[in-house]
Amino acid sequence: MLAVETNGLTRCFGAVRAVDGLDLRVEAGMFYGFLGPNGAGKSTTIKMLTGLLAPTRGSMRILDTDLSVPDAAREVKRRVGVVPEDLALFDNLTAREYLTFIGRMYLLPAATVRDRCQELLAMMELDREAKKITLEYSHGMKKKLALAAALLPNPDLLFLDEPFEGVDAVASRMLRDTLRQFVHRGTTVFLTSHVLEIVEKLCTDVGIIAQGKLVLQESMAEIGRTGTLEERFLAAVGNGQAEAQRLSWLEE
Amino acid sequence: MNGAQLRALLMLRWQLTRNQWRRGGEINAVITLIFYVAALGLAAVGGVAGVVLGFLVFAKMSPEANMAVWDVLVLTFLLAWAMGVLAELQRSELLDVSRLLHLPVSLRDVFLLNYLASHLSLSLALLLPLMLGLTVGLACGRGPAMGLLAPLVLGFFFMITAWTYCLRGWLAALMVNKRRRRTIIVGIMIVFMLLAQLPNLLMNLRLGRMANHPPANAAEIQAWITRRAEEQRQTLVAFDWVNRCLPLLWLPLGAKTLAEGRPWPALLGACGMIVLGAWGLARAYRGTLRFYQGGETQRPVAAPVAAPTPASKVDSGNTILVEWRLPAIPEEAAATALASFRSMSRAPEVKMALTTTVIMLMAVGSSMFLVRRAPGLRPDGGMSTVMQSLLPGGVVAMTFFGLAQLAFNYFGFDRNGFRAIVLLPAPRRYILLGKNLALLPVALAVFAVYLGLATALAGLGVSAVLTACLDFAAALLAMSVIGNFASILAPYRIAAGSLKPTKMKGLTMLLILASQLFFPLALLPVFVPAGLGILCDEMGWLPGTVVMPVCGVLLVGVSALFYGYTLEPLGRLLQCREQKILQTVTQEVE
Repeated sequence: MLAVETNGLTRCFGAVRAVDGLDLRVEAGMFYGFLGPNGAGKSTTIKMLTGLLAPTRGSMRILDTDLSVPDAAREVKRRVGVVPEDLALFDNLTAREYLTFIGRMYLLPAATVRDRCQELLAMMELDREAKKITLEYSHGMKKKLALAAALLPNPDLLFLDEPFEGVDAVASRMLRDTLRQFVHRGTTVFLTSHVLEIVEKLCTDVGIIAQGKLVLQESMAEIGRTGTLEERFLAAVGNGQAEAQRLSWLEE
Repeated sequence: MNGAQLRALLMLRWQLTRNQWRRGGEINAVITLIFYVAALGLAAVGGVAGVVLGFLVFAKMSPEANMAVWDVLVLTFLLAWAMGVLAELQRSELLDVSRLLHLPVSLRDVFLLNYLASHLSLSLALLLPLMLGLTVGLACGRGPAMGLLAPLVLGFFFMITAWTYCLRGWLAALMVNKRRRRTIIVGIMIVFMLLAQLPNLLMNLRLGRMANHPPANAAEIQAWITRRAEEQRQTLVAFDWVNRCLPLLWLPLGAKTLAEGRPWPALLGACGMIVLGAWGLARAYRGTLRFYQGGETQRPVAAPVAAPTPASKVDSGNTILVEWRLPAIPEEAAATALASFRSMSRAPEVKMALTTTVIMLMAVGSSMFLVRRAPGLRPDGGMSTVMQSLLPGGVVAMTFFGLAQLAFNYFGFDRNGFRAIVLLPAPRRYILLGKNLALLPVALAVFAVYLGLATALAGLGVSAVLTACLDFAAALLAMSVIGNFASILAPYRIAAGSLKPTKMKGLTMLLILASQLFFPLALLPVFVPAGLGILCDEMGWLPGTVVMPVCGVLLVGVSALFYGYTLEPLGRLLQCREQKILQTVTQEVE
């Protein structure tokens, strides 16, 4: 079964095509790394797949559900967890209040919500600041809370936009292990990151997007046979430019 | 800072403004341009009017009357200026100093540039030409000595702007702590509202006292006139002393002494205000240095001796508000209602909106009930039956007038939180239901205060109280429908910790204006039970005390049906428009 499938997915902002005819195929159970340079269209793609942004054209299916049908698109969100680029937190709620709200909206039983909240808050080390509202959180703490909210409903598909950015090393390690566990029991993880080492360690499959177009989609095993992920990435997004553009006054 | 750097900084500011306008759209740019042109036109008209009035009217007035005129002008300016400061409590600068600290630019020069830019305000643009015009007119009409008012006027503006800049810097430093910032904003709002309404309340109390003891015969009338004359004389003396003691009022005092032919007090006043202004500016500069560069003049902090207190841990044993179950309410709606209510109860912008409502009630309520000769009141001070019948509707209307800003923009206060709502699988009608329910405790609390006051002061009967409760339920349902519709069609982002909308599009501004204008019409039905009650009473068909609650029940029924029928389609509309709403309420403006 395909967890994510897009056909000709396009998003324009005025004259700019942020995503240009994207055809993605992500099998269920994959740990999929979605890579690309800054402004390549990674976050725009995730926003469209999670319903935060409407596509200009093209079709999308996640977990065998056509996202062009509004009610079905809303219903499939029950099986999806998301950490969006700009996070989705309420300024004036504490971590526990926010997680409880999310759990109830996913219609989880009260006892489950309470137990999972406690575990997630402990895991993310957010339980020490029970009275702090998210407005007072640092960026890393906000990120951890958003991750906790995404994991809370035990989703079948996780969209994580730069989940490790701003997260400390301890939490990052814990998160990597947790995500592996999720994948191990059948969850699909769709992740974007700029840190190629993390993607190399975690992901089973990789897609590289550049200027809105998918330029590479392979398994990590195939990439490993021909070189490193960094080499393939630089080759796919245009390493030549970086080498050609040197600062003139450093040449003197 | 050299010329090239100054040009670069001004160019940066221009580019930021231009980009803001570009993002706002053409209509917005046109509206802003019209606003600026109108302000310039008004400033020119004010200057000319000042010259004409000064020459033809005020030059012939007594020194005391001159002082009173300048007092009015000064107080008008201070009120308008304070409102501007309130709207931009956070330091709002031409150039964000923190983003320039790493550049080879002198902080003092940027500070001065920002201070000069802080003069660009509507109140100053309108009142400075008027005051200078008045000075010219008085100098022409009364003699050149009156020209000494010019340094007084300039000294006054220098003192006000310098100390305002100092106050803003101080507040900005205090507000670094986000939680303290919220308390400060609410505190300042309350103090300002109370100060603004204080004269009104005092006047009402005075009028009430006078009206409660009206003179009965000729001797009492004569005594009353003598007492009033003495009171007026004492008031004038006190007025003169207030002008002498408050530097803010040295300008009107100078106008009086100049009109009396005594230039020295005016010159001393001008010098005093300039010195005070310079002191304020120096403090502002030191505050800015401390704020951006940190601790230059900070007192040494003693090393902590006690062991650090353990951080507060999550106590999973206690049930928190967001976990409560609401009977007969779907789970998603209950969760939305409780989370939104919890969020609202902590939001300073909501506290400010409610405070405004309560203080306005104090002003209006005191006008209604302390002045016993208000229309509709019987000579003995009691309230007529017609007024008693209309009061329940009035109480309900007052309740919802104060809540309109919250109810018409449910998602604008969520900001980034609305992204969570879009990501949720919940049916959108339950989101709307939850948002409406979240407002219920707030509305109920305001209504209870209003109704309690109305009952205590006007002696409302059981029937009127019951009708008010039914009217409240009907109005809440009706306002929820209108609020849902407005929130979906014309959302706008409210900046955190303020009631200030972030840059709105022209169409949104028009929609908001229309909804605020026509909102009173939507509240008209709450007066239907009272109207029918009065009619039945007057015609002798049925007692009004019976008709009013019965009509109230019918009104609640109709409103509930209306609400029930609209919830599903409005939920669908929200689903269709949620991405556009998200774009609006999460967009920050630099």
